[in-house]
Amino acid sequence: MIEVTNLYKEFILSKQQQKELNTTDKKSIAVNSISFKCEPGKVFSLLGPNGAGKTTTLRMLSTIFQPTSGSIKIAGIDAIQNPQEARKKIGFLTGSTGLYGRLTPNELIDYFAALYSVSSSDLKERKDKLFTLLDMHDFQNKRIGKLSTGMKQKVSICRTMIHNPQVIVFDEPTSGLDVITAENIITLIRDCKQEGKTVIFSSHIMSEVDLLCDDIAIIHKGNLLYNASLEEFKNQMTTENLTTEFIKIVKESSNN
Amino acid sequence: MIFTIFKKELKDTLRDRRTFMTMIVIPVLIFPIILNLFVGVSESYSEESATKKVKIGIVSEGDNSISKELKEIPKIIGEKEIITYKDTLSLIKDIRKDSIQIGLFVNSNFNLHLKEKTAAPIMVYFNATEMGMQDRAEQYLTIIQNNAKRKRCQELQINESELNPILPSYVNVASDKEMIGKLAGGILPYIFIAFGFIGCMYPAIDLFTGEKERGTIETLLTTPVKRWQILFGKMGVVVLSGLLAATCALVGLFLSIEVFKLVEDQALLSIIHSILSPSFIIALFALLFPLTIFFAGVMIPIAIYAKTFKEAQSIITPLNIVMVLPAMIGFFPGIELDLMTACIPVVNVVLSTKELIAGTLETKFLILSFIVMIILAISAIFFSYKRFDKETNVIQ
Repeated sequence: MIEVTNLYKEFILSKQQQKELNTTDKKSIAVNSISFKCEPGKVFSLLGPNGAGKTTTLRMLSTIFQPTSGSIKIAGIDAIQNPQEARKKIGFLTGSTGLYGRLTPNELIDYFAALYSVSSSDLKERKDKLFTLLDMHDFQNKRIGKLSTGMKQKVSICRTMIHNPQVIVFDEPTSGLDVITAENIITLIRDCKQEGKTVIFSSHIMSEVDLLCDDIAIIHKGNLLYNASLEEFKNQMTTENLTTEFIKIVKESSNN
Repeated sequence: MIFTIFKKELKDTLRDRRTFMTMIVIPVLIFPIILNLFVGVSESYSEESATKKVKIGIVSEGDNSISKELKEIPKIIGEKEIITYKDTLSLIKDIRKDSIQIGLFVNSNFNLHLKEKTAAPIMVYFNATEMGMQDRAEQYLTIIQNNAKRKRCQELQINESELNPILPSYVNVASDKEMIGKLAGGILPYIFIAFGFIGCMYPAIDLFTGEKERGTIETLLTTPVKRWQILFGKMGVVVLSGLLAATCALVGLFLSIEVFKLVEDQALLSIIHSILSPSFIIALFALLFPLTIFFAGVMIPIAIYAKTFKEAQSIITPLNIVMVLPAMIGFFPGIELDLMTACIPVVNVVLSTKELIAGTLETKFLILSFIVMIILAISAIFFSYKRFDKETNVIQ
């Protein structure tokens, strides 16, 4: 379960940033008091155009960023007061995630398992299961730098799941991936849902949202524009498909 | 957790070919290369000066008695050949062409001056770009001068010693070890400091900016490890890399002496052995340790701030000059470790090491240098922590 209440994040702008953004404001609001809930066994999608505040929100959920105000609860743990404990429950994967190219998948997984304090018996069992599931046995001892994009993505998935997290955060996980490689992520999200995990992912690919999501939230310029189930969203649609409806909501918000 | 991160980062760093080269290969090779070059050049120089025949051209307007005197000078100074010239123009031309190395012009009044017991002028031509030729000419003329002086004293019936009221004897009380320490001892710490810096450089950039650039830092920050633990694990590898590079330079020095036998002079060898004692090495590393932490602490905030490997490199590379240049102070004889120099970072390490080599180190200044370096190292760690804790610095 993820519970977000009045989450607010602002960044102090440097002189250079003020110049680049053509503003005299010393602060920039990235996320403006948003609240939502993601439930276990469901997939929650955070939608929004580029620069909407999706990544900042997910980074706050994963405790990489500290919110300016508001509260976040991850599996019942206050992520602001107790980020170390909250992190134990989170698996984090982004489309731009890099891996240590000079390590082998085996070494990388062992490293992350150690960081998550996974016991050696649990590690052996989970590693074996994940390596079989993702068909990683053949390249487990090759340097990651020499692997294909698809293989690297499998290593990333394995790294995200090695500590058996209750909450999975995906930040545009399929961005830049080909259809075959993206399929691994889609399967992973489905499996997580079936196992009763809480899944939140950001995207702007509506076909993925339609395929996987139970609940959606649309954010734009840091503000929450919409939050309901996908079914409700479809029922209240005034346009012919999800993409045009999404564009319509964002445009209306910009005009207001 | 710090050790888990340290272990992984060390493995990752040692697998990076570029870091491996700057951290291990180049430092190990530097002393054998320098000593080999030094020994080779000095051997070939002394061999050349011993065997090279110096051709002396003489233009004499008188009876050319100077030629005879020159010929009588023993060969111990070196082989020589006397060539007679008719004019100074062709003499100068041949010196320029290196056909002859020294030219003498003796005018017609030379013998008359000697006879009248006045100073007889003699013009000496040489090419200053030809190393050692002025010295060689001075040696020949000193012998001729002394012979003439002796002859004149006999003629005037003067005891030669009466003309020299003082006969000084110079006795050097400094030991050979002290001489080497004070005059050349600055080179050793300079090399260790330079490698300590270079050794830190690539790992610092790779472990901070590189991680940011490759997009791996984000996943590391989502693990239940505290930021200071991540920083300490990484910093440990940066410091170790600097120390490892300095150690490899020391290993290279040992290899040059013990394996490649590049130093043949037994006296010099025994001095080097007495310098490189275990207590010297312990004291050297005790000084290098906080210095390397200080280097790491200066580089890490830059590496955290930089967005790309290239940007970090372009800032840290010029810093090399700022940091390592003070180490050159150790090259100058006369600058010693005192209350002021002990408080200047880098300079204090060089001067302490120099005094340590010379065996003239005062403990109070060593302790002061060590305290100064520890304070700086702690400040550098604190500054790095502040930078690493700032979320906008860590994430692209």
